[in-house]
Amino acid sequence: MADLRFVAPTTIADALGELGEEGAIAVGGGTSIGLLVKNRLVDASKLVYLGRVRELAGVHLDGEARVGATTTLRELSRSAVVADALPVLADAAGRIGNPRVRSLATAGGALVHGDPRQDLPPVLLALSAIAHLASASGTRSVPLSEFFLGFMETACAPDELVTSVSVPLDPSRRAHYIRYTPGSEDDYPTVGVAATVSVAPDGAVTAATLALGGVAEHALAVPEASQLVGGRPDAGAIRALGEVAAAAARPTDDQRGSSGYKRAMVEVMTRRAFEACLG
Amino acid sequence: MELRFKLNGEAVEADVEADTFLVDLIRLRGLTGTKEGCGVGVCGACTVVVDELPVSSCCYLALMADGAEVWTVEGLTRRDPALVDAFVEHEGMQCGICTPGQVVSAYTLAREHPGASEEEIRTYMSGNLCRCTGYVSITEAVQAYVSRG
Amino acid sequence: MAPEDSGADRRPAERQAAGRTDARQKATGATLYVADVELPNMAYAAVARSSMAHGLIRSIDTSAAAAEPGVVGIFTAEDVTESPYGRGVRDISVLARQKVRYVGERVVAVVAETRAAAERAASLVVIDYEELPAAVTPEEALLEGAPLVHDAPWTFPRAYVKQEDGTNLQSVVKVGERAPVEAALAGSAHVVDATYRTRSVHQGYIEPQACIANYDSEGRLHIWLTSKSPYRLRNQIADCLGIDESQIEIEPIALGGDFGGKGSPMDAPLCAELARLTGRPVKLVLRYSEDLVATECRHPTVFRVRVGCDAEGRLTALYHEVLIDGGAYAGYKPSELASIHGVVEAGGYRIPAFYAEARTTYTHTVPKGHMRAPGAPQANFAAESALDELAAVAGIDPVELRRRNLLRTGEKDANGHSWVEFRGEETLEAALEAVRQPVAPPGWLVGRGLSIYNRGTATGTQTSLCLVPVDGGRLRVEVPVVETGTGSHTVYRELLSKELDFPPEDIEVVQVSTDDLSPDPGAGGSRVTASISLAVDVAVKAWRSRLGDEPVYVVVDERAGPPVGSYGVQVAEVAVDPETGQLKVLEILSTIDVAEIVNPKAHQMQIDGGAAMGFGYACLEDLDEQGGQVWAANLGEFKLPSARDVPAFRTVLVPGGRGVGTANVKNIGETTTPPVAAAIANAVAAATGCRIRELPITAERIYAAMRAAGS
Repeated sequence: MADLRFVAPTTIADALGELGEEGAIAVGGGTSIGLLVKNRLVDASKLVYLGRVRELAGVHLDGEARVGATTTLRELSRSAVVADALPVLADAAGRIGNPRVRSLATAGGALVHGDPRQDLPPVLLALSAIAHLASASGTRSVPLSEFFLGFMETACAPDELVTSVSVPLDPSRRAHYIRYTPGSEDDYPTVGVAATVSVAPDGAVTAATLALGGVAEHALAVPEASQLVGGRPDAGAIRALGEVAAAAARPTDDQRGSSGYKRAMVEVMTRRAFEACLG
Repeated sequence: MELRFKLNGEAVEADVEADTFLVDLIRLRGLTGTKEGCGVGVCGACTVVVDELPVSSCCYLALMADGAEVWTVEGLTRRDPALVDAFVEHEGMQCGICTPGQVVSAYTLAREHPGASEEEIRTYMSGNLCRCTGYVSITEAVQAYVSRG
Repeated sequence: MAPEDSGADRRPAERQAAGRTDARQKATGATLYVADVELPNMAYAAVARSSMAHGLIRSIDTSAAAAEPGVVGIFTAEDVTESPYGRGVRDISVLARQKVRYVGERVVAVVAETRAAAERAASLVVIDYEELPAAVTPEEALLEGAPLVHDAPWTFPRAYVKQEDGTNLQSVVKVGERAPVEAALAGSAHVVDATYRTRSVHQGYIEPQACIANYDSEGRLHIWLTSKSPYRLRNQIADCLGIDESQIEIEPIALGGDFGGKGSPMDAPLCAELARLTGRPVKLVLRYSEDLVATECRHPTVFRVRVGCDAEGRLTALYHEVLIDGGAYAGYKPSELASIHGVVEAGGYRIPAFYAEARTTYTHTVPKGHMRAPGAPQANFAAESALDELAAVAGIDPVELRRRNLLRTGEKDANGHSWVEFRGEETLEAALEAVRQPVAPPGWLVGRGLSIYNRGTATGTQTSLCLVPVDGGRLRVEVPVVETGTGSHTVYRELLSKELDFPPEDIEVVQVSTDDLSPDPGAGGSRVTASISLAVDVAVKAWRSRLGDEPVYVVVDERAGPPVGSYGVQVAEVAVDPETGQLKVLEILSTIDVAEIVNPKAHQMQIDGGAAMGFGYACLEDLDEQGGQVWAANLGEFKLPSARDVPAFRTVLVPGGRGVGTANVKNIGETTTPPVAAAIANAVAAATGCRIRELPITAERIYAAMRAAGS
């Protein structure tokens, strides 16, 4: 593209100014956008590289865990803050792709790209994360349960930026993420299942969440996970939740599995994920 | 657009397009050790180091490297002959097309995971595909390099 | 021929080989491949390809493409030769003329000052088609009234079919006699009749195909191509372009993996035409997705096996009936038989009656060509799975069934041939002594499966070699063989070092251009080590009897002797998660019947690399051809095994075999790929009680089979 431009702003305000132009798209680490540009699959006139915007970087703790949008998967997997407060996120980030992808791919990019096969969205969704957006007209926050709208379609408008994603802290929360890769391990998962339970000192479940990846047009929250709340859930309750999750999934056939197989695996992996949390 | 960065320790200036990828820029400058294999960041033949991190140069927008330090297989093997020795002694190659990427990844692996076990090595290096060797001799070469310290 | 001896005290070469000739250059990125070569005034090409499986080209609009800055020329079929080319049958068009026959076929070539400009312009070419009905499977192609891929394929030069054979056929091969087989099966105590299916997979070399063509000031054509057979290439290009071979020079270059997929002329005829048309050197480097979608891949098969035995488990008859998808062009294969080796052989067993019938059809799909051990992985998957199924039906242990039927030295194979030896029994026993149960994940079902493959090597050769003494008591060895990665150049060095007593570091092995040496057919067919051994024998004799210090140039033409084979016995240890069908192949044990080994390290890598490729074929790989299109169009979708996907590989070598030449070598390059799929399928059956008859063996297939069986 001879008339494609590349800009590297250093502040959020400048980045928003650049994104205000028609045909401008934001680039985090370029791991998704790079391929689209290379294959001429994106109609852009300007690439707005966010790698120099310091305000978008870093993970902070202040009553919640706030992950800057340009935090890379590598940084997530090695951050002491994340390892302590959100071990499931550190673990998941460290298993995505390969070291080269993790060097560059960003948390913000994973959210905005909206690829239903990716791992980070269901993990953040299960962690009840909130996306913080900025535009020229101000800021707003969108819980991830309202952020993913369709296949590669999110609540982030073309002139908006995800600046950070925040996750509420909960020392009583246990979480587990399964990325089921029956073929090559170096692949998107056939199904991804992220589960959390918050457990009181007496063993009662006070909260539970479940999110699925790879089985719908976008990462899918399964609100019925709250059925586990109150008392210690038994095998029956977990099995029932697995059936609900399988019914809620709307997978399609592809090389990683038929929709029937994926549905069946949602059931199995949901059960296994909660057993891992509670076991 | 103007790009200024360091390539194998030398200051470099280049005029590139927004959609120029780092692999093409490197190879146009005569550094053909970095190969383009799959073109989608999966096979790792195009691996280079940017600011101490391994990246797939085939889908890395060159302008993101402005102000950065980039090292290719030529520069890294000059810097660290033990890296070459390990691959030569253990014959960690056959056709050689994936080898530059394997070598560069071994370099970053050794610094990221000193004392890595065989399992950790295979996991880290799983992003560098080889169709010839079945990975045994490559893993042995990397193990030898990592344990050299 | 190896000298006569008892074989009792032969051991594999114990002398430490001196390492590869090219290791340092490869480890530092110094080795040059085609894509790395730049010539002055070079221009770059890109190809606009068909989006249709079958269609008439109504019009081609190049106006937008021509307006792109940097475009040097845009060319269609009218501009280039109409002469088709190929390795065997000559049916491949340089550019599609009037019709397209598969998605991805070359239609328009753009030449520009840069690759980016050429690709941009190619993407702007607009081709208007009249879509035609397509036959995208062999079954469709053979239906009455099916759309024809080629109107009269029997008219192509070197066609394997006659008009009477029927339409949409590339070849029909029948081996043996059917009537005795039918009679024997009818009289057998136990018979299995089962059909197995395999899909197309790509060779998966990491270096995409690339070509440079240039006419020099004297009008001679120079070609750099990612090719493993430069002399054959020279002949094929000469034939296509109507030039004399003496006017073509194939330049030496390193090759980034071949695995059978780089034996055709590829894009060389097109590049040569573009060089002629533009008057400049032209370089075409494919994008990997083009390689996957539009070059050539392994033949998919529907493979029916009928096999019988008597009450004691002695095989009575074997019947192969195979329907093979050959794709839109047959020219990517050197011959009808080479491509179905394994189909027309009965393996290393004693089989009184054998009949094989293989039909290879044209379809409107990506052409099928050669890939490591062409035809053998498909045949071995079917036949070795069927043997286990027969063992089950007969109530005999599958190992015992093999034992009772492996050929012994002195016997003839099912096609009536006497081989130098048959060491299947001792190879099997060595394998069984070495098996062990690896640790499996808790709660998973475990199983062990076996497969046996006997492969012949070429015992004759045509090749050449030049030994050039160099100042300082050193030796330069000029060879016609491309180093495809297998270490062939190192084999020359090892053998000559030993025979002529030169230290290895004083020997340099160099591939020279086709101008400088007499033809060699190229890498492939597991022929190279044996061929080199024979060539070195002749060269060493000539060197020892020379008068002065002149170079020694030998041309070798050895007739083939009795077939020499090598048995490979593979045992797979697997574990299956009963809840999900997920399959973990824990280990593949390869036990190989060997003679002497020139370079133990390189030999071992062929074993491991071959087994890895077999594993990929068995469990991961599928080009996902549907509706006449390849859907696994990049390496993110077509999954090659990674370093953590591959199982553990163990090897047991059974020395004492009789090989070829004074070096006494056997083949290894294609031995460990074919038996993997059946070994795994047999292990999965042992673990789960379920028989998977389709590749790849995926978790989903196992899950479905287990659910269907009610387990």
